[in-house]
Amino acid sequence: MTNGVPYETAWQNYQTGSSDPVQFDDSSKESLLKQFHPDYQTNTTTTLQIGANQGDVCQRQLAQVLQSNSLIDEVDLAGASIVDTDVLIIGGGGAGCAAALVATENDARVILTTKLRLGDCNTVMAEGGLQASVGVDDTPQQHFEDTLRAGYFKADRKLVSQMVMDGPDVVRWLIQLGMQFDQESEDPFASLSLKRAGGTSAPRILSFRDYTGLEMMRVLREAVTYRPGIEVWRSKPVVELLSNEFGHCAGAAVYDMRHRKLMLVRAHAVILATGGIGRMHLNAFPTSNHFGATGDGLVLAYRLGAKLRELDSFQYHPTGVSYPRHLAGSLVSEAARSAGATLLNGLGERFVDELQPRDVVAASIIRECEEGRGIDWDGQVGVWLDTPRLEQQRPGILQRFGSLRHLAHKCGHDPAEKPFLVYPTLHYQNGGVVIQRNGSTSVPGLFCAGEVTGGIHGRNRLMGNALLEIMSFGWRAGVAAAGLRHNAPHRRLTIEHVHKWQRELTLAGLPLDNHGPQLYPDYANFNLRAHIAGEI
Amino acid sequence: MTNQLNQVLLHENNQVGSNLEAWLANGGGEGLQNALAAPEAIIKTIEDSNLRGMGGAGFPTYRKWQFVLAEKDAEVKYLICNGNEDEPGTFKDRLLLEKTPNQIIEGALITALATGVNHLILYINPHEEKAVEAARQAVAQWEAHPLFASVADSLGRPLTLRVFLSSGLYIGGEETAAISSVEGGFPFPKKKPPYPAQHGVHGQPTLINNVETLAHVTHIVKHGAEWYRNLGVGQASGTKIYSLSGDVLHPGVYELPMGTSLRDLVFEYGGGMLAGKEFKAVFTGGPSNTILTSEDLDVALDWDSVQERRSRLGTGAMIVISEGTGIVKRVTEYVDFFADSSCGQCPPCKIGTRQISKVLRKIDTGRGRRAELDHLVNLGKLLPGSGRCALVDGAVTVLNSSLDKFKSEYEAHLIDR
Amino acid sequence: MDHEPITIDVEGRSVTASPGRSIIEAVWEAGHVHVQGVGCLGGVCGSCRAIIRRADSTEVKMVLACETLIEAGMQVTFVPFLERLSDHPYQIDSFKDTWQLVSQVNQTFPEAAHCRHCGGCDSACPKGIKVERGVNLAVEGQLGAAGDIFETCIMCNLCSHICPEFIDPNHLGLLVRRVVPSLVVRPFNLMQRLNQLERGELYFDYEAPEASTEERD
Ligand SMILES: Cc1cc2nc3c(=O)[nH]c(=O)nc-3n(C[C@H](O)[C@H](O)[C@H](O)COP(=O)(O)OP(=O)(O)OC[C@H]3O[C@@H](n4cnc5c(N)ncnc54)[C@H](O)[C@@H]3O)c2cc1C
Ligand SMILES: Cc1cc2nc3c(=O)[nH]c(=O)nc-3n(C[C@H](O)[C@H](O)[C@H](O)COP(=O)(O)O)c2cc1C
Ligand code: SF4
Ligand code: SF4
Repeated sequence: MTNGVPYETAWQNYQTGSSDPVQFDDSSKESLLKQFHPDYQTNTTTTLQIGANQGDVCQRQLAQVLQSNSLIDEVDLAGASIVDTDVLIIGGGGAGCAAALVATENDARVILTTKLRLGDCNTVMAEGGLQASVGVDDTPQQHFEDTLRAGYFKADRKLVSQMVMDGPDVVRWLIQLGMQFDQESEDPFASLSLKRAGGTSAPRILSFRDYTGLEMMRVLREAVTYRPGIEVWRSKPVVELLSNEFGHCAGAAVYDMRHRKLMLVRAHAVILATGGIGRMHLNAFPTSNHFGATGDGLVLAYRLGAKLRELDSFQYHPTGVSYPRHLAGSLVSEAARSAGATLLNGLGERFVDELQPRDVVAASIIRECEEGRGIDWDGQVGVWLDTPRLEQQRPGILQRFGSLRHLAHKCGHDPAEKPFLVYPTLHYQNGGVVIQRNGSTSVPGLFCAGEVTGGIHGRNRLMGNALLEIMSFGWRAGVAAAGLRHNAPHRRLTIEHVHKWQRELTLAGLPLDNHGPQLYPDYANFNLRAHIAGEI
Repeated sequence: MTNQLNQVLLHENNQVGSNLEAWLANGGGEGLQNALAAPEAIIKTIEDSNLRGMGGAGFPTYRKWQFVLAEKDAEVKYLICNGNEDEPGTFKDRLLLEKTPNQIIEGALITALATGVNHLILYINPHEEKAVEAARQAVAQWEAHPLFASVADSLGRPLTLRVFLSSGLYIGGEETAAISSVEGGFPFPKKKPPYPAQHGVHGQPTLINNVETLAHVTHIVKHGAEWYRNLGVGQASGTKIYSLSGDVLHPGVYELPMGTSLRDLVFEYGGGMLAGKEFKAVFTGGPSNTILTSEDLDVALDWDSVQERRSRLGTGAMIVISEGTGIVKRVTEYVDFFADSSCGQCPPCKIGTRQISKVLRKIDTGRGRRAELDHLVNLGKLLPGSGRCALVDGAVTVLNSSLDKFKSEYEAHLIDR
Repeated sequence: MDHEPITIDVEGRSVTASPGRSIIEAVWEAGHVHVQGVGCLGGVCGSCRAIIRRADSTEVKMVLACETLIEAGMQVTFVPFLERLSDHPYQIDSFKDTWQLVSQVNQTFPEAAHCRHCGGCDSACPKGIKVERGVNLAVEGQLGAAGDIFETCIMCNLCSHICPEFIDPNHLGLLVRRVVPSLVVRPFNLMQRLNQLERGELYFDYEAPEASTEERD
C-alpha cells in the first residue's frame, strides 16, 4: 500500500465532496478482481505438495500450516491421562454447541473442548443475521438458487438443498431454546421481520437487532452449560487428532493450559467445529474474526487425511475499521451500505456501486488505496464510509444500528458527524473440509460442522448463510456422531498418521521444524513447547 | 509484673455487670459528676490524655469530638457506641459490654456533655446475647437515675439512650455502615464526604466511637489526663485491651499498660507458646490486619511503635502463630474473610479481594509462579482506596504486610523459584 | 501525535509499548505471552475484563482490555475466568405452565428475592445495564420488562462475581429472556412455512434453470 491523501486534505475534500450518484462501469469487473482482489493474485497462492489435496491451488500461508509438522510426538503421549466419551466436540462456537445439544438428545455422552471459553468465537460476533426461507413470497427453492449463484455455482448442491430445507426448522429450534428474533410487532404471533441481503431474490434475513450472533450464542451457551451429559472444557485446545490402527479418527490430544499437560480423549466420534482462519491474517490483512480463528481444524483434519476444498477462496469484507489502529479489522456491518451509506475516496469521490458483491467492493477499495486515492490517517490507510450523509438523508437511521454506534464510540467519533475510515478485512473462509450431508468426512469417525467445512458457499458466501449452516450441519453431525456410540471402543489410540505425515514431509523436502496448528496468532507470543516446560 | 494487669477498665471492682448501684458504689459516676461540673473542659482533657480510637483506626478521639461539637445548629445529634465486633481475633468489646456496661454508658453520657450529642445508641452485635442483655438492663437503670436527668438538663434537649441490635455482619461495624443500619437499612457503607460528623444518621451530625474508647473516657474524666498518661509505658498513654489468641497457653483478654512489649504479652501474660512451639508471628487484628514477627517481639504495643514496624495496632487483637503454620494459607483465610464480608457495592473490592484470594490459593497449593507473586504485588498497589470504605484496604494491608515480612515464604512455594 | 513509548504495569510486569495500543496489544508488543482472557477482540464476549488504575488517580475502574488504550503509569490486572460462586441449572423445556412461570423463575433463582439493592452490579457492568432493576422486575414477575433490560448483556459475568447474595443476575436475566420465546412466541410466517413443509407442499427442483451454471452465462 502506498501512502494516500493526507488526512487533513482528505477531510477538506470530504466536506466539499458530494455523494451524488455516479455511473460505474461494470464491464471491468473481472479485470478489477484479477488486478486487486487478494484471492486472484498469483503471488498469494501456491500448490500443495502433499496430502489429500496434493496438486491443488492453496493460499500460501494456509499451505504452510497445512504442510506443517505436528506440535507433538510419541514421547509426549507417555503418561498422558485418557478420558473416554462417546462424542468429542472440538470448538465452542455455534456449530459445536448445536452438535453437543443434539448429540445428547440422541443419548450420547459429550465432551466439548474449546481453546478459549465456551462462546469466545466468531458466532458471538455475527451482527447481520441468519437466512431462512420463511417469507410468504419466498421459497427454499429461491434460497437454494440464491446461494448457488452467490457462490459462482461452485457449491455442493446436495449440501445446499439440505441446508435451505432445514432453515425453518432451525429457527423453530432456536426459538424453543429461547432465542429472540425481531418480529413485525410486539404480538407474539407477529411474523418474523425479514431483511433482504445483497444478491438475493427475496427478504430472508432474520435477525435480532444488530447482534444476532450474541443473542444466539448466549442462549446456546446457557443451554449447553446446563445440559446434563455435556462436559465443557475451556482453555483446552486440541493440538492433534488421534488415529486407531485403521487410520480412523479415534479421539484427540488436548492441551490443558491450566495444568500444562496433555490429555488424550478417546471417542467413538469426533466433531471438528473450530471455525475460521481470520487470525492467520492471510496476505497481511486485518481481520474481523475472534482471537482463536487460526485455522486449526483445517490443519488437524488435513494431516489425518481429510480432503479439503476451495483453499484459495476467502471473503474480504469491504468495510473493516482502518483507524484507529487498535480496532483495525473490526466490522462495520453491511447494513450501513444496504441502508444507503456510500464509500468515498480521499478526493471526496464515490468510486463503486456499494451494493455490488463483497469481493467487487473490496477490490475497488483496494484499488483506490493502491493508486494513492486512499486516506492516510497516521499511517492507517482506507476510504470513508459516509455515515453522516446517510443520517442527513434519512434522519434517525443510525439509531437502529446499536453495534455500529458502539463501534464508532470506541473509535472516538459520532457516526452522524464523522465518517468511518474503512479498509477490507479478512472475514470468512469460503472453503474447508469436504463433508457429506451428515457432516462426515473422508476419514471415518471424523465429522465437521461450521466454518471449518467447505462446499456450502462455493467461492463466495451469501450474508446470513453461515449462521444457518452452523446450526443445520451442527445438528446433522451431532445426530450422525451419536449414532456411532455403540461401536466397539477403539483398541489403539495413536498418532501413527503423524509418522506417516512426517515421512511425506521429508520425501517432499518440506521442513520438519515448521509446526502446526498455530493455536494462537503469532503476536500473542505463545509456544507450546515452552509452555509445557514452564518457561512462559 | 502481673500487677499491671486489669488496672482500670477490667478492674475487678468494675466488673459488676449491669448493676448500676454497685457501679456507683465502687466509684462509678465520679467522671460524670466532673463532666457535669465543667462540660466545656472535657474535650481538652481528652486531648491531653492522648486517647485514640480503639475500634481499629486509632484516630485521635478529641478531634472527632470537635467536629461534632462544631455542628452547633443541629437540634439532634447521634452517638453510635460501636459494639459490632465481628472480625477474627477481636473479642474485647463483648466482654466490656457484658461485664462493665455501666462504664460504657457513663462514657457515652460524658461524650454527650462534651459534644452535644443527645441520641445515644449502643450498637451491639446480636450474636453476643449476654452483652445485649447486660446492656439492656443497664440502660433501664440509667434512664431511671437522676444523673440521666441531670445530663438532659445540662444539654437542654431531650436525651435518649437505647440498645440497637446490629445486623451481626462484619461490614456493619464500619462507621457509615453502622449509620445505614441504624437508619433501618442494610449496613451499606456510604460515600464520604459527606462525613458522619456533618451528615450521619438521618442527615444529622453523628459521632461513632468504639465501646472501649468510651470506657476509657469515663476514667480519664474521673482521674484526669495526667493520671491516664502515666499509666502507659514510656511515651505511651493509658491502657489498652489486647485480645490474645492463637498458639499461646493462655489466650484471653488482657488490659495492660499501653506500650507493653509484645514479648511480655505473649510470654508473661499469655503463658508462652502452646506445647513448646516456636513463636513465628502475630497477626494484629482489626479492619487492617498486619503482621509482627519474632524480630518485633520487643516492640512496644502502642500506636506509634507498632506503626514504625510498618504494622498497625488495630483493635489490639494479637493472633499468635507458631513455626510450621503457613503464612500464605493464613493470609488466604483472612482475604477470604474480607472477600466474603465485602458488601458488593464497589466492584474493585468484591472482585479484587476474590482475585487476591485466587492467586494466593494458587501459590499456597504449589501451583504458583513468579508471575503470580508479581501479580500480588500489583494488586497490592492497584486496589487500595478503591472502595467506599476501608474493607478493601484491609485485605490489601494483610497481603502487603505478609509480602513485606514473609516474601521468602511465598517464594519457597513457587514452581519456578 | 506523540510517538514516545509508554510504560504500564500489568500484573506486576512492566510493559512498554507504542502509544495508541490497547492494553492487550501492548502486552503482546512487549513480547509477553497472553492467550487466556482474550476472546472476540470486538467487545462482545467479555473475556478480557480488567481492573485499571490510571496514574495519579484514586479511581479504580473495570474495563474491557481490548478496547482500552494504554496511558503512561496505568496499572492493570486482568479479571480471569473466575469459577462462578453459585449455580442455577435449569432445562428450558421444564418451563411448561405459563401460569406458574413467575414462581418457577423465582424457585430457580431463589436468591434474587434477597437483593440488597447495593447497586454493585450496576457499577460493575461494562455495558451500562440497569442490572439491579432487571433483577427486581424479574422477582416482581414483570418478565418481559426484566428481559428487555438485559437485551445487550454480553454475559461477562462481572455482575455475578460481584453480587454478595449470589443471585447470578445475568443468568436470571437470560432465563427471563428465554422463557418468553420458548413458551410464547409463535410467529405467523414461520408457522405457515413449517406447516407447508410438514404437508410436503414445497416442491424442490435441483435442476431448475436458475440453479445451473449454464443459465448464468
Ligand atoms: C464479525 C463477524 C460478523 C459475522 N456476521 C455474520 C452474519 O451476520 N451472518 C452470518 O451468517 N454469518 C456471519 N459471520 C460468520 C459466522 O459468524 C461464522 O462463520 C460462524 O459463526 C462460524 O461458526 P463456527 O461454530 O463454525 O465457528 P466459531 O463460532 O468461530 O467457533 C469456533 C470455536 O472453535 C474453537 N477452536 C478453534 N481452534 C480450536 C482448537 N484447536 N481446539 C479447540 N477449540 C478450538 C474456537 O475457540 C471457537 O470456540 C460473521 C463473522 C464475523 C467474524
Ligand atoms: C470493615 C470495617 C469494619 C469495622 N468494624 C468495626 C467494629 O466492629 N467495631 C468498631 O468499633 N469499629 C469498627 N470499625 C471501625 C469504625 O469504622 C470506626 O472507625 C470506629 O468505630 C470508630 O471508633 P473509634 O474512633 O472509637 O475507634 C470497622 C471499620 C471497617 C472499615
Ligand atoms: S469497599 Fe467493599 S465493603 Fe466497603 S463499601 Fe465498597 S464493596 Fe462494600
Ligand atoms: S453479565 Fe452482568 S455485568 Fe456483564 S454485561 Fe451482562 S449484565 Fe452487565
